[in-house]
Amino acid sequence: MNHQCHWTEVENIFMPREATIVRAEQATPTEKHFTLAMKDGRAMEFQPGQIVELGLFGYGEIPIGFASSPTRTESFDLVVRSVGRVSKAINRLTGGDSVWVRGPLGHGFDLAGLRGQDVLIVAGGIGLCPTRSLIQYILDRRDEFGRFILFYGTREPCLQLFRDDLACWRGADDVEYFETVDVGDDTWTGNVGVITTLFPKVELTPETRAVVCGPPIFYRFVVRELDLIGVPRENVFVDLERRMKCGVGKCGHCQINDKYVCVDGPVFSFAEVQDLEEAF
Amino acid sequence: MTTSFIRSDDLTAFLAAMLEATPVYGPVAKRSRFVFDRLESPEELRLDYDVTILPPRKLFFSPAQDLLRFDEAGPAAALEPVEKVLFGVHFYDVKAIDQTDVLFAERNYDVNYMAHRQTTTIVAANIQNVSGRAFFASVGTEVRPKGHDAFLTAVDGGYVLEARTERGEALLGYGAFRPATEAEIDEAARVNAAALERCPEKLEHGTAEIAAKVRAAFSDDDLWSDLAKDCFSCGSCNTVCPTCYCFDVEDTWNVDQASGQRTRFWDACLTEDFAKVSLGEGATENFRETPGARFRHRIMRKAVYLNPKLGGPACVGCGRCSAACTADIADPVRVINRIMAS
Ligand code: SF4
Ligand code: SF4
Ligand code: FES
Repeated sequence: MNHQCHWTEVENIFMPREATIVRAEQATPTEKHFTLAMKDGRAMEFQPGQIVELGLFGYGEIPIGFASSPTRTESFDLVVRSVGRVSKAINRLTGGDSVWVRGPLGHGFDLAGLRGQDVLIVAGGIGLCPTRSLIQYILDRRDEFGRFILFYGTREPCLQLFRDDLACWRGADDVEYFETVDVGDDTWTGNVGVITTLFPKVELTPETRAVVCGPPIFYRFVVRELDLIGVPRENVFVDLERRMKCGVGKCGHCQINDKYVCVDGPVFSFAEVQDLEEAF
Repeated sequence: MTTSFIRSDDLTAFLAAMLEATPVYGPVAKRSRFVFDRLESPEELRLDYDVTILPPRKLFFSPAQDLLRFDEAGPAAALEPVEKVLFGVHFYDVKAIDQTDVLFAERNYDVNYMAHRQTTTIVAANIQNVSGRAFFASVGTEVRPKGHDAFLTAVDGGYVLEARTERGEALLGYGAFRPATEAEIDEAARVNAAALERCPEKLEHGTAEIAAKVRAAFSDDDLWSDLAKDCFSCGSCNTVCPTCYCFDVEDTWNVDQASGQRTRFWDACLTEDFAKVSLGEGATENFRETPGARFRHRIMRKAVYLNPKLGGPACVGCGRCSAACTADIADPVRVINRIMAS
C-alpha cells in the first residue's frame, strides 16, 4: 500500500467537537444567527472564507461558512437557514444548547493577496454571511488594507441580515458601504434596483481586489461590471460554499468538473472557475 | 520475496488451515453469478469466476458504514476493523483498490476506509474466465496493480504463489508450498499474458489521447444528451463500479430514541438528486440537471479528471457497468470509441 500513516495513529475526520450556543437570534423568518464557543474553551482557529460542518446527532450535518472573523477569538458566528431536516432541527435550539462542529475545512480567502490592496466586497442575500467574516477581519485590521468598499443587495428590506452591523457600517468612515433592494417597501428610503446599480456610485480602479458572494445568477452580472472597470479575473474571488456535504473531499457531492469545492475551495478566483460549466 | 508452488491436491488443505486461523473472503457462486463473500469452507471458493457482481470495495467501504455512534454522552468511535484475508482478486480489481487507497488517503486521511484496508491481506489470482464485457487489457495499460500481498496463478498440476509483501509471505505457513521452478514461473507469466488476449472489448487509443479528446468533447451537449437519451438515472453503473466511491451521510436513531449512529451510504452521481441543493422556501438548484450532464460527469471522472492523481484512468475495464446497465448505454468502450472516432 502506498499510504504512509497507520490507521491507529489518525483521528477520524468525521469526529466532531462540542460547541455551546452562547447566543441565538432569529435574524429573518428563515435564518437564525448563532454565536458559538468551543466546549473545551479553546478558540476556533480559522481563516475568513473557510467552512465548518455544523451538526446535531440524530439529524446530521450541514456545511456553513464562518460569519465572524477569527480576530474575535472568544466565539464564532454561524447563520443557519432553515431549508432541510438538519437545519430546521438546529434552528430550534437556543442559548445554552450544544451543537457539534467539524472544522475548519477548505480554503478561505487569500489574505496575503488582499493585504495592502483596495478591497471591494459584493454580497447578495445570504452571501453576506461568509463575507462578514472577511468584513470584520478587514475592519479589525483596517490599516493593513487600502480602501474598503462594501455592496450589499437583498430582494426585499425585510431580508437584510446583521441589522446592527448594517446600521454601524452606514455611518462608518472605515468602510464605503452601499446597499440596495430589488423591491422596496414603505419604510425603505435607500437604493432600489439590482446589485449592479450600485457600481456607478463609486469610483473603482482596476487594481481593486473583488470578493463576490451571492445567488448563482449574481456572478455573471457582477463580473461583467468588474470587467468594465478592468479588474482582472484573477483578482475576483467567489465563494461557492453552497454545495457541499462531507466537507473533506471524499463524498463527491461538491464536485464542479474536476474541482472539489470543499477542499479546493470554497473560495476560488473567478479565473479558476469561469470555464467550468458546472460552476454557476 | 519468494515464489512458491503448491499442488492442486494440497490447495484445499492450505485454504482450510487459513480459514481456521483468520476470516477469509473470496469469490463464491451466487445462482449463476459470483460475489465476494466470507468463505465457510474451502470448497466454496470459485477461482474460475469471471467477474463478481459487486467489486471487493465493499469489504473496506461497506454499503452502509458507521462513521460514529452517539448517545446522550456524545459521540464514540464505531471503527472495529478485523484482520482478514481477501483471496482471489483479479488484477483489474487490485488496480481499482489501489485507486481508492490513494483517494481515501490523500488530503484528509479517511481512517474509516484505511483501517479496513490495512487489516486486509490481499491475494490476487489469475483470470481463468473472462466476462462478456471486459476490456481490462486495453485500459490504463501503463498502470500496474500494486496493492496485493501475493499473486496466485493456476498452472499445470497446481498453483504458483508469488509473495509480494511480508504478509503475503506469511501465508506460506498455511500450506505445503515448495519453491517454484523456473518453468513454473514462466508458465504463470504465460497464463497471465494469455488472459489479456481474451478480452471481448477493446479501447482503440491510449490513456492520454483519450483524456484529451474526451475533455475536449465536454461542451458538446448534443453528444452527451444523445449518449444518455435512454438513461434511467438508476445509478447502477456507479454501484457496481470498483472505482466509484461517492457516498451520502445520514444519522439514524436506535429504538431507544437516545442513541444512534452516523452512517455513510453508497451514493451514485448518475441519480437525479446527486448534485441538488435546497435553497430554502421549497426552491432547489441542481448543478447537474440533465441525464446528459450526469452521464458526462461519470465519463469525465473515469477517463479524465482523476488521471493526474492516479497516473492513469479511473476505469479498470472490468465491464461491470456495461453488464449492469438495463439500457446498455454505460459501456465505457462504446462511449469512448465513439468520441475518439468523431
Ligand atoms: S447509464 Fe445505465 S446504469 Fe447508469 S444510470 Fe443510466 S441507465 Fe442506469
Ligand atoms: S467504469 Fe465500468 S468498466 Fe470501468 S471500472 Fe467502472 S464498472 Fe468497470
Ligand atoms: S463535500 Fe464531500 S467531497 Fe466535497
